[in-house]
Parts: sequence; C-alpha cells; structure tokens
Amino acid sequence: MIVLVQCQKSSVFPDEQYDDRLSGGVETVFDATSKAFSNMFTELGVYDEHVHSLGDDVFSRTFVSAPAPINSGLGALYNNVSCISCHHNDGIGLPTVGELQSSMLVRISLPGTDANGGPVAVPGYGLQLQDKAVFGKMPECKVNITYTYQAGTLDDGTSYILRAPSYTLTNLYTPINGNYMLSPRLAPPMIGLGLLEAIPESQIVAGADPNDANGDGIKGHANYVWDAITKSKQLGRFGWKANTASIITQVASAFNQDMGLTTSILPVENSFGQSQNDGLKDDPEIADTLLNAVKFYAQTLRVPARRNTTDATVKRGEQLFALGKCVNCHKQTFTTGVDVSRKYMSNQVIHPYTDMLLHDMGPGLADNRTDYLAGGQEWRTAPLWGLGLFEIINNPGYYLHDGRARTLTEAIMWHGGEAEASKAYFSHLSTSDRNAMLKFLKSL
Amino acid sequence: MKKSLLLSLACGAVLAIAGCSKSHNDDTQTNDATLEGKVIVDFANVLANPNYADLQAKASTLKDAVNTLVATPNAANLLAAQTAWKNTRVPWEQCEGFLFGPVEDFDYDPIMDTWPVDKNELDAILASSNPLGVSDVDALQQSQKGFHAIEYIIFGPGGTQKADNITAREKTYLTSLAQSLYNTTVQLKNSWDPSSGNFTKQVTSAGSGSTTFATRKDLFIALVGSMADICGEVSSSKMEVPFAAKDSTLDESSFSHNSVADFKNNITGILNAYMCTYNGAGGTGLNQLVASKNASLDAKLQSQMKAAIAAFSTITVTYERAIYEQPTQVKAVQASINTLQATLEGDLTNFVNTNIKD
Repeated sequence: MIVLVQCQKSSVFPDEQYDDRLSGGVETVFDATSKAFSNMFTELGVYDEHVHSLGDDVFSRTFVSAPAPINSGLGALYNNVSCISCHHNDGIGLPTVGELQSSMLVRISLPGTDANGGPVAVPGYGLQLQDKAVFGKMPECKVNITYTYQAGTLDDGTSYILRAPSYTLTNLYTPINGNYMLSPRLAPPMIGLGLLEAIPESQIVAGADPNDANGDGIKGHANYVWDAITKSKQLGRFGWKANTASIITQVASAFNQDMGLTTSILPVENSFGQSQNDGLKDDPEIADTLLNAVKFYAQTLRVPARRNTTDATVKRGEQLFALGKCVNCHKQTFTTGVDVSRKYMSNQVIHPYTDMLLHDMGPGLADNRTDYLAGGQEWRTAPLWGLGLFEIINNPGYYLHDGRARTLTEAIMWHGGEAEASKAYFSHLSTSDRNAMLKFLKSL
Repeated sequence: MKKSLLLSLACGAVLAIAGCSKSHNDDTQTNDATLEGKVIVDFANVLANPNYADLQAKASTLKDAVNTLVATPNAANLLAAQTAWKNTRVPWEQCEGFLFGPVEDFDYDPIMDTWPVDKNELDAILASSNPLGVSDVDALQQSQKGFHAIEYIIFGPGGTQKADNITAREKTYLTSLAQSLYNTTVQLKNSWDPSSGNFTKQVTSAGSGSTTFATRKDLFIALVGSMADICGEVSSSKMEVPFAAKDSTLDESSFSHNSVADFKNNITGILNAYMCTYNGAGGTGLNQLVASKNASLDAKLQSQMKAAIAAFSTITVTYERAIYEQPTQVKAVQASINTLQATLEGDLTNFVNTNIKD
C-alpha cells in the first residue's frame, strides 16, 4: 500500500474509500476460482476464526441416522444429508429434487394465513416436503419437475428458449385434503449474508415505495415475518421471499426442515405427529455450540471482488443497467450499521445489488403461494454479487428461485411485473449493448 | 470449506500499481509466462492425469480382489482385499492434495469418500431383501457406499472381520460397492482425459480461452487454495475431532486402522502438487516458479512439507490408540501441518498474487 501511495493519484481511491470492485467492503476477496464463495472473513481474531472453522466443519458434515456416535440425527425425514450437499462450494446447486446431488426443496401450504400471518401448514406434511427418509420410513412424496419450452426472439434476431417448470407430487404417503400450493426453492449462495444482516432496517425500509409514489412503476415493500427466536414479527431479509428474519433462524430451520436435525430453537422433529417419526428422546440433536458456529460461519463468508471494472465494455454495460432501471430494484449500494464489537462488519460500503424488498415479478415467475406479506407473484430482489462466478462455482450455473434459467439472458427474459419495462429495455438493446450489459453482470 | 488470509487489499494494490511499475522488462515477462505455462501443463500431464489413472488401476485391483474374496472366502483372500483397499487409498488421498475441477464439480469426492458410514442404514439394508445391484448401490446415500462402506464390510469393527463371517447379503453388497467405486474412478479419470471430458484443456488453457480459469493466476490460486484446504481438513477436522472428543470411534478410517497413512498421504499429495512429482515421474513444478523469484520461500515450503510428512513417523500406534497414548505426538503433527497451512495461505498465496500477472 505504501508503493501505491507513491505512484497512484488519490482520486483512484477517493476519500470515502469508494471502489466498485469491493463488493463486500473490507470483507471482499480477490478470488475468481471455484472456491471464491468459501473465504473466511479476515480480522476475526483467533477465537472467532476458531468458531468459523468449527462452523465450516459442521457445514461439511454428512449426518447419519440416529443413534450414531458421530453426526447423529439425520431424518427420519429429510431433503439432504449435509449443508454442503445443497450449498455446493457455498454456492447454489443443481435445480433438481430427490436426487443425491439435488439442491432444491419444495415448500407447501394451504390457502389462508396462520395465527402469525404466515402460510398454513398442511396436516401430515407441514410447510416443507421432505422427499427422502431413513430406511424403512416413507418419504412424504416424490416431486416431479417437467419443463415446457417457449421460444422467443430478441429485437436483434437472437433467439432464446425459456424452460417453464411445472411441479407435481406423486407417491404421497398420505392424502392431502384441499388445494395445496407449492413453492420450489433453490439453495442460495452463502456469501455476504452477515453483511446483509448488518444493513440497518431503516435503510431497507426507506427504499420501499408500496404505492409507487415516485411513478417509476416499481413498488417495493418489506416482508415482516414471525421469528422463532424473538417470538415477534421482524423484517424478513433472507430466503427467496424474504420470509426469514435472521441467519440464526435460517440455519435452525434448515437443520430442522432440510435434514431432520433438531436444535434448541426448533426442538421438534419435522416428522412430529407423522407416522415416520423416530420417537427417540435425543432432541436437540445439534448442540447450541454447533448451531451458533454454523450461524457464525454463514455470517462470515467474504464476497468476491468484481472483475474487469475498468473495462470499457463493462462500464458501458453498467450504464445500460442503470438506464434500463434495473438498479431501481437491484440497488447497488448499502452501508452496514455501526457495530463496535464487530468492526469487520461495521459501517461498510457494500454492493449487493439488491434492495432487500419484495416486488411483483409477474405471472411467469409466480409460485402463487403467499408467504407472510409476500404475494403469489412477489419475490425478494435477489442479490447479484457473485453472479458472474456461478458458472465457475457450480459448473454450470443456474439462475432464479428454481434454477429454471440456464443463462443470464434467460433469467432477464423471465422478469415480468414491475420489471416488465426493464426486460423490454434489455430485449430492445443492440447486440453490442446487450453483450455489454451481460459482460457487466459477469463482472459481478 | 475454509480459505483464509487471501490478502485482498494487497492484491488490489498490486493490480493498481502494475501500470506504473517498470521493474520487469518484456523478456522477463515472457520467461515468466513460459515457465508458468510449463508448470501448468506438467501439473496436468505429469501429476493429475497419472494420479487419476493410478486411482482407477488400484480400484480395478480392489474390485478384482473383492470378487475373488466373494467367490472364495478365506483368510488369504480377505487379506488381499484389505491390502487392495489400502493400496487404493494411496492415490485417492494423494489426489486430495489438489481437490478442484470435476472431482468437486460432479461430487466424485463425497460419492467415493463420505465419512461417517451410516451403520444403522447399512445394517437395515443388509437385513432387508432390497435389491443390491450396482445401480441400487449407486442410488444409495453417500454415507452408505464408497470406500468406507467397503471398509466396514472387509475390515469390520476394529478390523476384526473374518472371511467366514461375511454373509451372503454382505457379499452381494460388497461386490456392487467395489464395482460402483471403480465406476466412479473411471468417470473421474475420464473427466480429465484429453480423449474424453478433457478438463485437462481447461487447465492448460488457463488465461487463454479456459472458461474455468479466466487467468493463469486463477489456476494457481485454485491449486494453492486446495493445498491449503487439505491441510485444514487433516489437522483441524480429521485429526482434531476424535482427538478433542477423546473418542476413537470418531476417527475416519477406524475399521482398517489406516488413518495415519491416510493423513500422511494427504500431505504427500500437497508435496506432489508443489513439486510436480508422481510415482517417480517428475515435471516442472510450482517449486521452480517460486525458486526463480524467492529461493528462501521455496526452501521454507519444501522444508515445512517434508517436516509435516516426517512428523507422522512419531506416531507409532494406530490413530485410534494415539489419541489416548501419544497426544504429544499428535499435537506436534498438527502443529507442523498448521505451520504449513499458514505458509500456503500467507506467503505462497501472496507470491501468486504478486508474481503471476495474468
């Protein structure tokens, strides 16, 4: 850095330390390899590094059926056997269900809202389908995905094919009474979650415009969801519909719902009251030490730096991204709150490219399943940091909440609702401008 | 999977000053690029491809030995199968020194080498009449197949298995497990083979057309990162978990008592990756790249790698006993691995970020 001062004008790093490569502020990592999402925060200190490493270890553990001397407690019903098997390389995974390498799960509910304003559990099934079971138990069902293909053409004549998924259930272990709603969810990337959690609620809410007062056609609003820890309604930040308030709740519910592992926060097996329940008195199966370590691990994974930010084409693409009003939802910058006990998360200028709010994305992407204040066509703006590395980390990359998009162009062309005009803007671009916008997205 | 200490800001500074630094003339840069290219090509051709081919060959021998044992269960054939299992572990644990590419993209690692085995599930499957063909085994959870499921049957708890005690169901299961493992090693080998999946091309074209490695630096970061990762895996996980709990049942290869050899082969894999050596063949290694610019760092790395490997000889009992009987030696081995890991994540990563330009 001393050398830098000698030969660089200070304007390159302005006083406010603004550098658009540094997506995660001081916790940005210059790594564009398949492990780019797996870097521990620096400046944690010896003890916190130990906790992160323990969380990393648990995140990688394969759990087995109870009772067992090590990693005990899988199931009886589950979706997968470890965190890492869905969050491949701490990124997303394959948009399949029920197979060993599958990274997707399906939520289920009945119409209406429960006592806390959330979705209504289906008797015998709960709010999430577990399509795997330990030996001798029946999985709840098999989820089938079929795609229909819709050809389209951009204004410059480039053709693309969107694959529209539909989801059906077979092999139900017990009948479902009533009309149920399904919502598939692909495992999201793990980077920068602690930074998103550290954004002050006031900053997020300030961006809401539920009545479109500014007339830009975009109406973001926050989700408020029941939190199992505080036993109160909290701002929803995580999950594809912002239906989870905090990382600790997210981790506990993933243990519980995805792997059948109980914790002090969610001490009741996901199969409780169902014929598959193991009846063992071994809850909680995950000690608080390990639960908290995984939470800390999820909070302290660095964000990869942008690449090629000074490239003229990337610069052009960045302009077009703004001109197309993509940034009205994919908001570039937040500043995390001041936290004197965790200086590495404190007052950081970060570039997640999300406003953390819910938006109507149109009927094409709709799951038609409400989740607290998130309507059937609404989704939380997905953070775009790390987007350009999905192909390397997951080889190949998949996009959107159910991985239906196989390229960034497909992902954009799926946008609708409040994003209809931005999608049209993209499809009207000249070939070179469209490639510039895609190159910009690849630089994230 | 942890990677720490990649000095982001230092790297950023290096990029920023590249425009005004004139310390390298064009000839030096050409020579650097030539040497880097040679290291990359040799890594693929002298180490990675032969290592995966060796794994496939050893897994083939294991499959044959299992078939012989199943056909003629006796003590000699059981021992031969056990030996073949241990021999297959050698190339596998060594190739874990560079765990990136298809081995992780397609989950070949967890498919072959998930620990722990789910004993409840294994016992339940064996007690059932479910079909146990190769495709049935392929569909099982990773904790019910691969190296450790085979190990569970041919070694038994505490390594006490007797040929006569292997049941008919176990024989069927074992045959399919060995075939399934072999099939995965074939897939892994083919994924790199230039005449098949050709991940080799992704490596050798790093920085010039590779979609996996946009720059040569990305490849070297991936290589050094994977070397550091396996240090952490051995010291902080495989060795530490049973040691901290003082519970030998938590140890990875406890049925075969092969853990110390496993650990040592992991670290040997790091040395192989650094020196570009495999089974007596040698190429132009990362060591030569480091030595060309920083001889003392090269000496430090080689010495720390060899020290970590040598340290294992101080553990003179099985790892299951060592955690109780030789805790001082166990801690000393871990310390030497931790030292190596710090150098890989610190000095060597900085070296790559500083010296590999594109």
